[in-house]
Amino acid sequence: MSAPAHLRIDGHAVTVPAGTNLIEAARRAGVTVPHYCYHPRLSIAGNCRVCLVEVEGVGKLQIGCNTGARDGMVVHTANERVKEARGGVMEFLLINHPLDCTICDQAGECKLQDYAVDHGTGVARFEDGKVHKPKNVSWGEKVVFDSERCILCTRCVRFLDEVAGTPQVSIDERGDRSTLIVGGDGALTSPYQMNIIDICPVGALTSRDFRFKSRLWFMRFTETICTSCARGCNVVAGSRNDRLLRMVPRENPEVNDHWMCDHGRLHYAFVNDEARIVTAKAAGRPLPYAAAIDQAAQLLEGARAQGILAVASPFMTNEELWALKGLCDALDVKDRWFLKPMGEGDDLLVHPEKCPNARGAALAGFVEAPAPPPTPTCGALLYVAPREGAALPPEFLAQAGKRIVFSLREQEADLLFPLTTFLEKDGTVVSAGDRVQRLTKGITFDRNLLAERSVLDRIHAALEPGFVAPETAAQAFARLAEGPAAFADLTWAKVGALGTPLAREGATA
Amino acid sequence: MLEHAGDPAQRTLEGYRRHGGYIALEKALRTMQPDAVTAEVLQSGLRGRGGAGFLTGKKWQFVPKGGSKPVYLCINADESEPGTCKDRQIMEHDPHQMIEGALLAAYAIGAGTCYVYIRGEYPHSIRATEEALVEARAAGLVGRDILGSGFSCEMWVHPGAGAYICGEETALLSSLEGGRGYPRLKPPFPAVEGLWRCPTIVNNVETLACVTQILRRGAAWFAGLGCAGSAGTRLFCVSGHVRRPGVYEFECGKFTLRELLEEFCGGTNTGRPIKGCMPGGSSFQVLSPAELDVRFDADSVAKAGSSLGSGGIMVFDDSVSALDVALNIAEFYSHESCGQCTPCREGSDWVKKILLRMARGRGTAGDLELLWDVTRKMDGTTICPLAEALVWPVQSYLKKYREDFEAAVRGGATA
Amino acid sequence: MSGRPLSPGVVARIEELWTRYPHKRAALIPALHLVQADQDGWLSAEALRATAELFDLPDQEVRGVVGFYEMFHTEPVGRHVVRLCKTLPCKLRGADALIARIAERYGVGRGETTADGRFTFECFECLGHCSTGPMMLVDEERHENLTVGDVDRVLDGLE
Repeated sequence: MSAPAHLRIDGHAVTVPAGTNLIEAARRAGVTVPHYCYHPRLSIAGNCRVCLVEVEGVGKLQIGCNTGARDGMVVHTANERVKEARGGVMEFLLINHPLDCTICDQAGECKLQDYAVDHGTGVARFEDGKVHKPKNVSWGEKVVFDSERCILCTRCVRFLDEVAGTPQVSIDERGDRSTLIVGGDGALTSPYQMNIIDICPVGALTSRDFRFKSRLWFMRFTETICTSCARGCNVVAGSRNDRLLRMVPRENPEVNDHWMCDHGRLHYAFVNDEARIVTAKAAGRPLPYAAAIDQAAQLLEGARAQGILAVASPFMTNEELWALKGLCDALDVKDRWFLKPMGEGDDLLVHPEKCPNARGAALAGFVEAPAPPPTPTCGALLYVAPREGAALPPEFLAQAGKRIVFSLREQEADLLFPLTTFLEKDGTVVSAGDRVQRLTKGITFDRNLLAERSVLDRIHAALEPGFVAPETAAQAFARLAEGPAAFADLTWAKVGALGTPLAREGATA
Repeated sequence: MLEHAGDPAQRTLEGYRRHGGYIALEKALRTMQPDAVTAEVLQSGLRGRGGAGFLTGKKWQFVPKGGSKPVYLCINADESEPGTCKDRQIMEHDPHQMIEGALLAAYAIGAGTCYVYIRGEYPHSIRATEEALVEARAAGLVGRDILGSGFSCEMWVHPGAGAYICGEETALLSSLEGGRGYPRLKPPFPAVEGLWRCPTIVNNVETLACVTQILRRGAAWFAGLGCAGSAGTRLFCVSGHVRRPGVYEFECGKFTLRELLEEFCGGTNTGRPIKGCMPGGSSFQVLSPAELDVRFDADSVAKAGSSLGSGGIMVFDDSVSALDVALNIAEFYSHESCGQCTPCREGSDWVKKILLRMARGRGTAGDLELLWDVTRKMDGTTICPLAEALVWPVQSYLKKYREDFEAAVRGGATA
Repeated sequence: MSGRPLSPGVVARIEELWTRYPHKRAALIPALHLVQADQDGWLSAEALRATAELFDLPDQEVRGVVGFYEMFHTEPVGRHVVRLCKTLPCKLRGADALIARIAERYGVGRGETTADGRFTFECFECLGHCSTGPMMLVDEERHENLTVGDVDRVLDGLE
């Protein structure tokens, strides 16, 4: 712990540990110092020169990223001298920059655009020939590189070396002929490579998956959680016309820091899958929801004596799991399982549990299904199918009596109801490390689709007069908080955009 | 330093010893503490001869005492500053003088290894130094337990591969570590964190040759030569439009620049009047004819708005357009810019492009202001001084020879 | 011409170089000089990959080092490499005329190789022979105080 340094930044007094770099110190004083090459998780490069600030008593302007706060320092980040120098740097960055904005995916989230407007000189004085370099260079299946747009900040070089552990990018040539090259066969191999697209301040690195799909300003951005594994990396889902177009990580120091894995990022086609069912079905034929719900209630009531097996999905939100639990309680269901898809994890973000809410299922009173499952003896099966990675085997389903199934796509059942995906609802999950995190609704896949939580609650209501289902997410969450001690003292608001840990007692590993 | 450069035997250990070689080293190792060697060099007033002119003894003192990390010495023999060809003279004709100085420096700072970073385009210097090192090693002057003193220092030649920027000390370190020659952010300074993050001192070839002379003949002797701020003798290379170009060794402060050029160097070889002189290599301001009466020493030349720099004195007569000179200089720096930081990477080439366009007759009146503003925005905003090395001379040409630029704009292509 | 893996002699010399430094990587640039000299004066992709493997470095990292320095060639060169200085002192003593002469007499511009493969011509920045310019390096031999006649004589005499 180093001694505190009291400094003044643009007239604001702020105290930070001595040695804190001035960009961070300024941030704490509420001042934003523009920068490109600096990134809080990467080594200092100090090459872009955009973060130049004036430190009183020091002759030359200093780069904020590599200047440590000292007690008594007085710093100016926006006086005339700094503004002029910064304008100069912006001008230098733009002279060889290609005028690609109209075709560049970065437009709208480009720091070159942003700083040019905020800090640039506004006039182009360069009349000579721009330097030309390779464009549209494939760095493998996921990342596209444009050398003319590149400002050589080396964030990508440092990320791949320091965070991903795969130093596959280096600088070649010298001076303003400098460009980036990739090793081996020219394709990046890291399963985290696409993070360089996010940290690239300009459009030099873009996503092949997202290439030319949409302009940012036509999109809607929703803060939510990736649901491909138990990590629960915080993300922003970008959608348009109720279809998901891309996912990018959202900073959460407690979960995923600034990153997410490529698999989670790219795995979303199921959201937009036109083969998804949107109506209830009985024996394969569409049925109005009201009728299907009534039939389900009767079917379940009729199977009580023989026994009902409920199988939950670890892709369900806590609120959905609680709706299912409530229904099971009303029916005295003894056997309550859930299926848990597993796979490989790594030592960065990827978790071996390939589902977002196995913990929530356990807290809701479901137990991991025996594997392989024994021959069923139930009169009815109430089965919420996992999105992927695990399923009840067909032979099991064939012998499970009357089957009420919730699924994304068509499958054999006596009564079939659709599922929603993570982007179509507000709800919570319990991620690895026992952290409750929020999903936020961003799209409506189909106006005719009735969400599973509503269906379960209505079946419950049909069986138990007097049951009042919660409506809003906050109300649904409040119902949970009455449950296990783990959820005690939590509210929907408290969970917030970054999640919150469960209480120690009652929490699982 | 060049006293015996004319004697071919001076390159050999035997020849070197005949003229008092390695006596200073022996004396230092046997009778002096390392700090006493530093004190001697400090007292002499020796300033670095690579271009920056920092007090050598003071630089050595920046090495932290009592650390656990090994200390390194690097000899900066990258000599690539336009106009400069003096270090090469020492390496080719008297390499042991440099080696002895390096051993003395290594002893003073506690360095156990010394790398001689010689630019790759100097095969003769590389060969001469390697041969001298073979002899020195065989005679127990380099390696373990030198002269039985208990002090060990290994020394190796390390070739560069063609990059002016590697003459900048932190870029030299990056290159020596096996990388691209990128200058490094300071702090930390090399004396504290240099090669492989260990304390490292980088000294110029001529500086170390002076160290040998100082330890051989005494600090007082050295301080008594030259003048205040420019102790000792210095090597200067005179080139361009002079009758007697060459490498000269003399004391500073004894005559003016004009006297040096007209009397010692015989004036211009073309018979035409001198139009300008860059007294310290291409990285500093040009001096116009009116400014040549400056007394030729570091402080006086600095006061006159230029610098002795690396000792590369370049002279041109009035047949030359200042625009062409400025363009040649801009081409140099834009070619040699490492490309690491924005203002130099983009600005150096922009300056070159503007000057080239002007030289081809397509300049406009606004180009002069533009040049001034572009260079101004490169000044003081970069990682290393290569940007200033372009800015200062180009701005001095714009200021002192404006008519040449205006003439080009008016419609006379010069290139 | 695709280059070759490293010869045992070169590898042995590189291994000796490693003993001079606490970290192997420091020997990279001296090693690249050895490899280049051993392989007809240029560094093929194969040679670079082999060197990277020997040094346990990513291959593009070695390529990036090579691309920084003037003296390394990544394409075949002539049997000789001619480096003529174009910087100010040499320019003042007539280097421009020599560059033009070489273009005219041998048909090569900067960076080009003569049709008969005898030499590659390069304009270099300051080669450190300012007081005896114009100057050129032909391989490791130097020629100073050049006149047009000198240039003709030396270059005509190259095999």
